[in-house]
Amino acid sequence: MRVSLDWLADYIALPTDDVAEIREAFESLGHEVEGIEFPEADWTEVVIAEVISIEPHPDADKVRLCQVVYDDARTPVDVVCGAWNFDVGAIVPFAKPGAVLPGGFEIGTRKIRGVQSNGMICSERELGIGEDAAGILVLDADATVGLDFAEYVALPDVIFDLSITPNRPDAMSMMGIARELSAYFDVPYSMVEPDLPTVPGTPSTSVDIEDPSGCLRFTGREIQNVVIGRSPFWMRQRLRSAGVRSISNAVDVTNYVMLELGHPLHAFDADRVVGEHLVVRRAESGEKMTTLDDIERALSQDDLVICDASGPISLAGTMGGATSEVSQQTTRVFLEAATWDPPTIMWMSRRHGLRSEASSRFERGVDPGLPLRASSRAAQLLAAMSGATILEGVVDEIAVPVTEHTLELRLSDITRTLGPGFSVGEVARLLEKLELDVAGADPLSVVVPTFRPDLERPIDLVEEVARLHGFDRFGESLPRGSAAGLTAEQHRERRLRSALVGAGLHQAVHLSFMDPDDLDMIGYPADHWARRIVTVRNPLREEEGALRTTLLPGLLASLRYNASHGAGHGGLFETGRVFFSEADDTDARIPQQPVRVGFALFGVSGGLELGGSGRPTDAFTATALARLIGEVLDLDLELRPATYPGYHPGRCAEVAVSGNVVGHVGEVHPTVARHYDLEGRVAAGELNMPDLLAPTPKPQLESPSVFPRSEFDLAFVIERDMPAVELLAATVAAGGELIESAEVFDEYRGLEEGRKSLAIHYVLRAPDRTLSGEEVAPVRSAMIEAAAATGAELRGRA
Amino acid sequence: MEELDQIVATAPSRIEAAKSLDDLETVEAELIGRQSKLAELQRGVGKLSDDEKPVMGRALQEARSAMQPIIAARRAELERRAADLLLEDDRVDMTLEAYRLPTGSLHLIQQTIDEITDIFVALGYAVADGPEAELSVYNFDALNTPPTHPSRAESDTMYLEFGPHDSALLRTQTSPMQVRWMENHEPPVHVIVPGKVYRSDTIDASHLPVFHQIEGLAVDVDITFADLKGTLAHFAREFFGPATTVRLRPHFFPFTEPSAELDVSCFNCDGGEASCRVCKGVGWLEMLGCGMVDPNVLENVGYDPEALTGFAFGMGVERMAMVRHGINNIRHFIENDIRFLGQFT
Repeated sequence: MRVSLDWLADYIALPTDDVAEIREAFESLGHEVEGIEFPEADWTEVVIAEVISIEPHPDADKVRLCQVVYDDARTPVDVVCGAWNFDVGAIVPFAKPGAVLPGGFEIGTRKIRGVQSNGMICSERELGIGEDAAGILVLDADATVGLDFAEYVALPDVIFDLSITPNRPDAMSMMGIARELSAYFDVPYSMVEPDLPTVPGTPSTSVDIEDPSGCLRFTGREIQNVVIGRSPFWMRQRLRSAGVRSISNAVDVTNYVMLELGHPLHAFDADRVVGEHLVVRRAESGEKMTTLDDIERALSQDDLVICDASGPISLAGTMGGATSEVSQQTTRVFLEAATWDPPTIMWMSRRHGLRSEASSRFERGVDPGLPLRASSRAAQLLAAMSGATILEGVVDEIAVPVTEHTLELRLSDITRTLGPGFSVGEVARLLEKLELDVAGADPLSVVVPTFRPDLERPIDLVEEVARLHGFDRFGESLPRGSAAGLTAEQHRERRLRSALVGAGLHQAVHLSFMDPDDLDMIGYPADHWARRIVTVRNPLREEEGALRTTLLPGLLASLRYNASHGAGHGGLFETGRVFFSEADDTDARIPQQPVRVGFALFGVSGGLELGGSGRPTDAFTATALARLIGEVLDLDLELRPATYPGYHPGRCAEVAVSGNVVGHVGEVHPTVARHYDLEGRVAAGELNMPDLLAPTPKPQLESPSVFPRSEFDLAFVIERDMPAVELLAATVAAGGELIESAEVFDEYRGLEEGRKSLAIHYVLRAPDRTLSGEEVAPVRSAMIEAAAATGAELRGRA
Repeated sequence: MEELDQIVATAPSRIEAAKSLDDLETVEAELIGRQSKLAELQRGVGKLSDDEKPVMGRALQEARSAMQPIIAARRAELERRAADLLLEDDRVDMTLEAYRLPTGSLHLIQQTIDEITDIFVALGYAVADGPEAELSVYNFDALNTPPTHPSRAESDTMYLEFGPHDSALLRTQTSPMQVRWMENHEPPVHVIVPGKVYRSDTIDASHLPVFHQIEGLAVDVDITFADLKGTLAHFAREFFGPATTVRLRPHFFPFTEPSAELDVSCFNCDGGEASCRVCKGVGWLEMLGCGMVDPNVLENVGYDPEALTGFAFGMGVERMAMVRHGINNIRHFIENDIRFLGQFT
């Protein structure tokens, strides 16, 4: 909503012209200021002049010699003019010699084909106040000759561009804005009261409302002897200040009244309404109509239309039709002012992509008490502009009467929400400023006028009291809290993220979608959980059609982004939800959507040496990260060889926490890595977060032994596919309580086909004594025996 | 005897003249070693008379005692010099980054969420995480959004193929968690909800179809508008700096009444400098939407709106981060370019 202060001054004398103060008023009333424009005269030395003679040019037939007068002595000034749209007596803007027009265009005295020309008669375009360049700007006959043209155009002006919230249809008009500012500044405003010269008669067009769910009221007024033409300059300028294009006087008055009073109107050419009878109904499917913008529209049963005998001729409250449009030939206008059901108009205008000044008001809810006042005002203006006559009688079909309603407001309703400090008298005083009738004490009985459909419940009045009291006048306090804070799981989640950051990974954030084709590329079998995709019914883009079931594609795509932007290495992790088409365990009405943590790395990882050299990323980078997570979260975490879609078949492990598989880590399958244009080995993993975050028991102290340790190495030859962890587990179990640690320190595969050698360093220690050789020897033997039971054969001292 | 005095007198300059530990060894041998004059005199003491023996013996002892500390001091000095030379050899260019420990980063969105979360945790709020695939009932109906509200349109909201038509959607705000939380908790409640939200928006410099919000909700027996104002003012001072001031402007949301938008004073220019890149000369930055919980919302979750009041607010995490860190394009947040991520460690 664009508000010109010059225009506004017709209805209210503001106590200030300070722009900052007026801005503050709008904002504190809740009408957000999106912009302020300061239109100024972009010219100097332009006055209003009268053309007193026009002669042909002796040597040119495209231009004419004119004389204009503008000073008190009516001194004739010769000027050559190329426009033909005016006659002697025309009142025009005249740039005197020495004038500067927009764009720095200097006007002087010059000879045009041998004739002296002193200045220039200007067009709208030349003055930068309109688009019309076809001829010069001919002003209204009552414009004062000699007046500075800037003063005539009411410049400088200030235009506020306001964002009106959807609950406030009343503020979508100059009148509504005047009412708001009147309440804010405590100054009166004047309501437009049309004074209508009418002639006897009633409209020839009759109206029938067949659909009261869409049309609450339909009024019509007939205007005869209309001469369609251009609107006066002042009206065109005002429409321009509001951002509305001037069309013709009959259309302009409807727009002007919409801006002034907030009620959109529609002008029919009464002679083109077939059958002189209008019916308001829902469209039938298959029906079509051509709207004013010359687009043929297929109608649906949800559309509300106004029909004549030929069928639909107007989309109610949204856009009129071409067949009954006002044209240059129109002499009889039927002026519609109707009350429409807001949602009907909202959905219809959206459906047809026709959001207009009119529909934006009707979808908020236009005052049902306003139609006749609005059409009177438009008729009055049109009569004054074109000498038309207005018929006394009106059509007024009321399908659903809307009246003022009364709300009960207790003082406790106010204080419960706004705090103490409000009296009944103060509340009444504030509400009365908004033209609400207030009676009684506590409760107050408040009559809500029809222009405020948003005031339905006592809480709506509480808001009005707060708004007029001024939000900035409330104090500040802090309520007590609930002594809540982060849960153990939330603390552990932060610890998990910190650990990954400490390991050099950067946290990534992705949109929650994926391309289902990626699942084929990765090679998930048909019955895999990752195939249970939840789809979006109405994605804006195809890429947003499916919710992700795994974090890996997003992470790998981001690695590719980094690699293609010059990164030689990098690691990312993400924590976020994935979605499955199964019902959620706690609320079956929504899909399962567990939180996952995923990571992916390429290039080198860990600490870096000069030149960026370091340890190349591989499967063990992935297992190291899994183990790190296990360490920092104190999990009973185990890695077991596995095969899994997307991973290298021999370099993948499932991760188990307390025996339950919570995800997989390993090296990305070379085919998959190649799909993402990643060179070298790529490590990745994805784990289910809730399984990691469940709190674990507090660790209890085990006192470090003060006695010396006993250590020895053993090397075993085992099957190549036997996991080291099994050999370790077997020997450690045999070693019993004395084993302090057991670590593989070498793996050798060059022995014989299908076999490998593992060298293990064992440390034994007792909490209460120094271990003797005699004590260690049988333990060692038992360990070797246990290893042999797994098929491992001792290779001799390593 | 005279010879002895001569040795003692010249000893310091001879010791000082030793330029290396080897030199010093030689000098030491000449002064007090087995082959030294001193040793020779020592060996001759037995041949002296009984009267001379003690005199000579004492003189020799004194001479040795006088020279030994000088030798020791010189040795220490030379040893230190030798060590210094070794260290000199060991010099490196300390400006070289010859080893680099891994450095990762939390995403700026995560950092912002954590920081804001902590401000409210300190005020006694719990932190909740709600479903992103949400029920239409929670996202709209329970939040007092009329069935005809335009935000329900398919052009604004992404609906899911799950359950009955239109029942499941990608939440357009974190507010539905207000309803879930209240359904499962007795008042008083103080909770904030960070998380992803979804809108049918075309990606451009300021829009993403998926972004993050933080919802806040407080409901108790005596919460008033001043509590809303005070809480958000406290938050703004913690987040933007102690000099920050706030203002509330009336606004409209279906689930709060009165509703407001919160502006904070520009932290960059101290108020309305025309050239300020952050506030563009306005002096205020639009931060979040808030208001007193609508009685209908309380009623929808079975709370008594005659006894309880509350406030709620919701802020855009990306916007908070963009304003504070001078980020001009929201797409940075989802590109996951390590050169971007690594700037915020």
